[in-house]
Amino acid sequence: MSGPDFGALGEEAELVEVEPEAKQEILENKDVVVQHVHFDGLGRTKDDIIMYEICDVFKAKNLIDVMKKSHEAREKLLRLGIFRQVEVLIDTCQGDDALPNGLDVTFEVTELRRLTGSYNTMVGNNEGSMVLGLKFPNLFGRAEKVTFQFSYGTKETSYGLSFFKPQPGNFERNFSVNLYKVTGQFPWSSLRETDRGVSTEFNFPIWKTNHTLKWEGVWRELGCLARTASFSVREESGHSLKSSLSHAMVIDSRNSSILPRRGALLKINQELAGYTGGDVSFLKEDFEFQLNKQLLWDSVFSASLWGGMLVPIGDKPSSIADRFYLGGPTSVRGFSMYSIGPQSEGDYLGGEAYWAGGLHLYTPLPFRPGRGGFGDLFRTHFFLNAGNLCNLNYGDGPRAHLQKLAEYIRWSYGAGIVLRLGNIARLELNYCFPMGVQSGDRICDGVQFGAGIRFL
Amino acid sequence: MALAAEAFMTQLAAAEPWPENAALYQQLKDEQILLSDNASSLAVQAFLQMCNLPVRVVCRANAEYMSPSGKVPFIHVGNQVVSELGPIVQFVKAKGHSLSDGLDEVQKAEMKAYMELVNNMLLTAELYLQWCDDVTVEEITHLRYGSPYPWPLNRILSYQKQWEIRRKMKAIGWAGKSLEQVLEDVDQCCQALSQRLGTQPYFFNKQCKGLTFQYRRLVPKIRPTELDALVFGHLFTILTTQLTSDELSEKVKNYSNLIAFCRRIEQQYFEGHDKDSSSSATSRSAKRSLLR
Repeated sequence: MSGPDFGALGEEAELVEVEPEAKQEILENKDVVVQHVHFDGLGRTKDDIIMYEICDVFKAKNLIDVMKKSHEAREKLLRLGIFRQVEVLIDTCQGDDALPNGLDVTFEVTELRRLTGSYNTMVGNNEGSMVLGLKFPNLFGRAEKVTFQFSYGTKETSYGLSFFKPQPGNFERNFSVNLYKVTGQFPWSSLRETDRGVSTEFNFPIWKTNHTLKWEGVWRELGCLARTASFSVREESGHSLKSSLSHAMVIDSRNSSILPRRGALLKINQELAGYTGGDVSFLKEDFEFQLNKQLLWDSVFSASLWGGMLVPIGDKPSSIADRFYLGGPTSVRGFSMYSIGPQSEGDYLGGEAYWAGGLHLYTPLPFRPGRGGFGDLFRTHFFLNAGNLCNLNYGDGPRAHLQKLAEYIRWSYGAGIVLRLGNIARLELNYCFPMGVQSGDRICDGVQFGAGIRFL
Repeated sequence: MALAAEAFMTQLAAAEPWPENAALYQQLKDEQILLSDNASSLAVQAFLQMCNLPVRVVCRANAEYMSPSGKVPFIHVGNQVVSELGPIVQFVKAKGHSLSDGLDEVQKAEMKAYMELVNNMLLTAELYLQWCDDVTVEEITHLRYGSPYPWPLNRILSYQKQWEIRRKMKAIGWAGKSLEQVLEDVDQCCQALSQRLGTQPYFFNKQCKGLTFQYRRLVPKIRPTELDALVFGHLFTILTTQLTSDELSEKVKNYSNLIAFCRRIEQQYFEGHDKDSSSSATSRSAKRSLLR
C-alpha cells in the first residue's frame, strides 16, 4: 500500500508514507491483549449467561480480531432478546495493571423492561389476523421469556401462554412450554375445530440441521359449521384427546424464506400419537423439499416437492383433523382451497396420503419498472404445479399405493405476479389453468389470489 | 329465511317415502347412556314403531355431539337429520304418517299439554336426579357419561355437562329443590297421568278404521298417539333402571294402571324383536340395569 502522492514535497511525502504503514501495523500485526471486559447497565440479568456470550472476546489477538469478536458478541447478546440495545466501546487499558498493548472492552447495554406489550398483524396461509401480545422478557435473569398472545383472525381466534428458556451459552438449544386454545373454521369441510392443548418442545442443532422434539397433548372438539354439513363430517363431531410425540428436522441453506434466490430447504416431520395416552393413534410422516437456483438475467428457477402419509394404528379410522388436504392458492394452484380429493356432498374430507410438486420460474417484472426501489418487491412467475391426494388401504402394499397416488394426478400451469412483504409473507395474483380435474374437485380457473408464508 | 328453508325442507322430505335404512342414533347402550337420554330415545323408538316405520338403532359414543340440536336421539332418514321427539313427529307427519290426526282440536291441545307436563316434570326430574343429586352423580353419572373417553377427557366432559345442567336448573328454579321435593313432583305428575289414563288402554282412544285381534276377540282398532310413546319411554325407563335407590321407580309403581300401560305397549310394540342391541326395551324381565 502506498500513501498519497505529494509529488515535489519530497520529505513531507516521505513522512506521510511512513504513517499509513504504521497504522496498518497496529491494526493487523500488533498483538493486543484484552484485559478487561466491562458491562454497564446490567440489572436483573445474571452474570453467567453474559459470560458465555462474551468469552470469545478474550481470545482476540489483534485489534481487527477484537473488533470482529466484539461485534459477534454484540449480535449474540441482542439475539438473547433481553436487551433493547447494546453498544461496544474499545479503549486502551488504563490503570496500574495496564499492559502496553492492553485493551478494555466495554459493553453498554439497556435491558428491556419487565413487561412489554405489542400489537401486530399477521399473515398466515390465506388468512390474516391481528395479534396482541404481552411479554415478560428475561424473567429470572437468564433470558427466560413468558409470552401471552391473543390473536383474532379471519379464520381463527386463539390465545396462548408460553414459557421459553434457552440453555445459557447455547441459545440455539432451548425448550419451551406452551398452553393454547385455538378455534378454527374450515368452510371447505363444513367443519369447526377447537383445540385446547399443552405442548413442550426442545430445539437443538446438530451440525447444520435443526431438530425439534415435541410432546403435545390436545383436547380436540370438532363440530359442524352449518346445518347442511354432510353426514360424514357430522359423524366426526365430538371430542377426542390426542397425545403425541413428534420430531422435526430442518436444513435450510436458502438466503431468505420468502422468494429465495439460492439454496435448498429440507424439512422432515414425524409424529406418533397414541402411545402416551389419548384415544387417537397414528403415525404421520411428512416432508417438504425446495431447491432454488439463480439463472441468467436475475431470474430464479425453483423446484419443490411435498409429501406425506398418515397411518392409523389400531382399528379406529383416522380423524378428519389429522388428515392432509390439497389444493388452493398456496398449494396446487388453480383449485379452490383444500378442495381436492375425497369428498362427501361437497365437504372435503382430506386424505391419508398425498404428494405435490411445483416448478417455478421467477423473473423480474417485464421492462423492470421501479427498478432499485419498489419494483424489486415484485416478481413475475411462471409455474407448473401437480399433486394427488387419496386414502390408502394399508393392507395393499407399497406398489398398490404408488399406483394409486400416480393415477388421477391433478395439475395446473399458469403465470402471475408475486409481491414480497418484507421477510414475512408473500402475495400472489395468478392466472391458472387447472388440468386433470376429477369429479368432486372444485376449481378456481382464471384469476386466483393467494397470501401466505408457505407456498408450493 | 329460516322458516322458508324449513318449509322447503319439509316439502322435500314429503316427496320421499320412508327409506329402508333409516337410523336412530343414541349413546352406547351398556356403558354410557344415562336415564334421561335413554327415556327420550325409547320414546322415539316407540313412536316410530307405532307408526310402523322401520328404523335401526345405532349406538355411537359421540351421538350427543353429532346431533344438530345437541340432544339425543336423532334420526338419519335419507339426507335429513332430525333430533328430538317434537321435530321428529313433525317430520314424520310431513311424510304422511300421523298418529294424532284423528283427534279434534281440543284433544290435540290437551295432548300437547300433557306432553309438556312430561317434559317439564318427568324429564327435568330425571336430569335433576342424574346431575344434581350428589350420590347419583358420584356413583353413576360420572362413571358412565365419560366412559368412552380417556383420562382426563372423561372427567372434563362430565364436569362440563354437570355445570351446564346445574346452570339450567338454576334458571328454571329447580336448583333450590331438595330430592324429596323433586320426588313429590314426580308423584304428582304420575298422579295426573294415571288419572287421565284411567282404565283405558291409551290416553286418547279414538277409534280408527279396521279391526284388530286382541284378547281372542276382534275389537275396533284403537291407536296410540305420540303422548303414549312419550309417557311409555319415560315410565318404562324409570321402572327398569337401577339407580342408587329405588325411590324414583317406587313413585311410579304406586300407580298400577301406569305399570299395566307400560307392559301393554312393550308387549304390543317391542316383543318379537331380536334380543340384540337394536331395541332397548326387549328384555323379558321387568328389571334391567342400566349401569355398572
